Amino acid sequence: MRWFFLILAIATVALVCALGPRGQKFSSPPFMLFPDMDNQYKVKAQKPSPFFENGQGARTPVEGTVPLGYTYPGESADSVARTSRDYSRGSDYLNTGLFGDFYGKGFPEEIKMDEAFLERGKQRYQITCTPCHGEAGNGAGIVSKYWAIPPTANLIDPRVKEMPEGQIFWTITHGKGLMGPYNGVTSVNDRWAITAYLRALQAAAGK
Amino acid sequence: MGNIFPRWTNLLAVKILVCLGALGTCVVAVAWYSFTPKFTRVGYMPQQPIPFDHSVHAGQLGMDCRYCHTHVENSPHSNIPAAQVCWNCHGPGKVKSDSPKLEPLRRAMDVNDPNYTGKPIEWVQLHKVPDYAHFNHSAHVNRGVSCVECHGRIDEMPVVYHAKPLSMSWCLECHRDPGKVLRPLNEITNLAWEADDLSPDEFYAYVAGKTGTSTDELKKADTGKEWDRELIGAHLQKAWGVHPPQDCAACHH
Ligand code: HEC
Ligand code: HEC
Ligand code: HEC
Ligand code: HEC
Ligand code: HEC
Ligand code: HEC
Repeated sequence: MRWFFLILAIATVALVCALGPRGQKFSSPPFMLFPDMDNQYKVKAQKPSPFFENGQGARTPVEGTVPLGYTYPGESADSVARTSRDYSRGSDYLNTGLFGDFYGKGFPEEIKMDEAFLERGKQRYQITCTPCHGEAGNGAGIVSKYWAIPPTANLIDPRVKEMPEGQIFWTITHGKGLMGPYNGVTSVNDRWAITAYLRALQAAAGK
Repeated sequence: MGNIFPRWTNLLAVKILVCLGALGTCVVAVAWYSFTPKFTRVGYMPQQPIPFDHSVHAGQLGMDCRYCHTHVENSPHSNIPAAQVCWNCHGPGKVKSDSPKLEPLRRAMDVNDPNYTGKPIEWVQLHKVPDYAHFNHSAHVNRGVSCVECHGRIDEMPVVYHAKPLSMSWCLECHRDPGKVLRPLNEITNLAWEADDLSPDEFYAYVAGKTGTSTDELKKADTGKEWDRELIGAHLQKAWGVHPPQDCAACHH
């Protein structure tokens, strides 16, 4: 009996030691004792699915089609190369920043300009634009120092100050030159809010 | 008739029971230590297709989590960024565009790359609750629970690893007493945030506005208490009326 306890104690300690302490780094998928129902056969956000031929759970529109409720906005009259040409929810001013082929001035009437809207714009600007354009909008964000082809645009420059609101909205949506499109990561309302906050930054810079 | 059972067998049953008991205890001890999520999940650090470094992007460059995980505030699922998001900085003429580490990104995005496939980058998922339990990021992030409570100091990790067990008992531990972890909503993605970063005057004014009491009353009630996370959290819990669910159907529906 004494031997039994001794061996049991040694075996337990040896097993725990062999498996190691908690919190070690390892790269094989975690061990699962009862994996029942853990991985159900359904499509989940951003996950692969063996059901579809290309293995992707999320479906993309069939080539040459436009999803219901979306349109391709027309090109703007200026010839600056845009980085992307994507769907938008409609071809009105709110969704495109364009009146016909021309950038619109002012904010769309659907937008309610108030303090909360500007606060939202400030928050979104600081999340999305600050890394490159800097907190003050002067183009001196931390990432701009690493860019192979400087400079990152100075957004409090008089040139940008005179840009119509629609053009700034369009630029965020489709990018311009070296700046990529940000329509995937900002909603339509947020893009207008960022534009409004940019106006506030420019006014504060007072040039 | 002689004794069929010799004298030593008198205690045999007891001895066997004691041994079985000891064996059972040891099995439970090993299972508790080495087969619970605190052991099996914490530390999971898989190899990713691109050695993406949070300590550079979120730490050194100071990027907000929501630059990439854009939908964490308004969706149950916190998205992994599309390749386009990386491409906006790592495209041609931008940052480190021809780094060998970014080969999978060019395969996904660069139409001029000879290996171009246009397929998404296959990041390996680390954190996962089983499909029979429902977790919602937006319900937590918009109620003052920071990423750091559930994912650890991501902004200091060169390679992301699983920092918390994500077991049911772990979920419930916080749901029973969320007051310790709540923080102001604009500090959710600031993983290094501490109580001292918050000005007491502004905070009391905010709480007074929310609860309809006066700043002086609140301050008086708090005299002698230390200005720390717990105090702030307790006020916020009351002001926002935070009551995390503990009934089974909240998470298993
Ligand atoms: C990855 C870095 C990066 C980010 C993030 C970024 N930009 Fe840019 N942006 C640039 C660069 C570089 C240019 C200059 C493009 C060029 O002229 O080739 C630019 C140009 C612009 C212009 C046009 C200026 C002009 O002179 O025509 C506007 C307007 C602008 N950005 C607004 C924004 C806003 C608003 C955001 C946030 C939603 C943002 N940018 C995010 C890098 C960035
Ligand atoms: C530049 C974009 C970027 C930023 C900024 C960023 N992340 Fe990530 N994050 C990623 C990518 C890409 C992955 C997937 C690869 C990986 O796991 O390393 C990821 C993975 C993660 C994961 C693990 C996901 C899983 O599979 O379970 C967590 C948790 C996470 N990020 C949290 C954060 C937090 C918290 C912050 C803010 C401090 C942050 N991230 C900032 C791009 C980013
Ligand atoms: C806002 C701009 C920005 C975004 C977005 C961004 N990065 Fe980076 N990344 C950088 C900068 C700047 C560096 C260089 C840091 C340095 O040199 O220390 C870098 C470095 C890297 C490196 C190291 C490259 C090397 O050769 O050392 C990798 C890998 C990388 N990033 C992957 C990614 C991935 C994957 C994504 C998308 C989830 C991404 N990055 C998104 C700015 C960005
Ligand atoms: C209350 C705890 C909690 C908080 C707070 C939290 N997360 Fe998570 N996170 C989880 C859990 C649980 C999962 C696994 C979800 C699943 O299985 O779908 C997860 C998964 C993720 C993933 C991987 C998603 C996937 O399917 O690959 C990312 C990325 C992530 N979180 C980022 C964040 C960021 C960024 C924040 C802060 C803004 C945050 N999380 C806050 C608990 C949390
Ligand atoms: C660090 C604290 C914390 C952790 C850990 C945590 N929660 Fe929560 N949870 C909260 C708070 C705070 C709320 C918000 C309660 C409220 O809104 O009144 C909440 C709310 C919820 C809700 C209700 C959402 C709704 O729509 O009302 C669910 C479901 C939930 N949590 C599931 C989980 C699961 C599953 C886990 C573990 C993977 C988890 N939580 C881990 C703090 C936490
Ligand atoms: C806060 C959310 C939450 C609540 C409330 C909750 N659970 Fe769970 N439950 C979970 C999560 C998350 C898991 C997965 C744990 C894991 O994978 O380690 C789980 C796992 C389980 C499992 C499976 C364990 C296994 O390993 O197979 C059972 C059974 C279960 N829960 C029953 C219940 C019952 C009964 C209740 C009500 C008393 C309840 N749960 C309430 C989140 C919750």
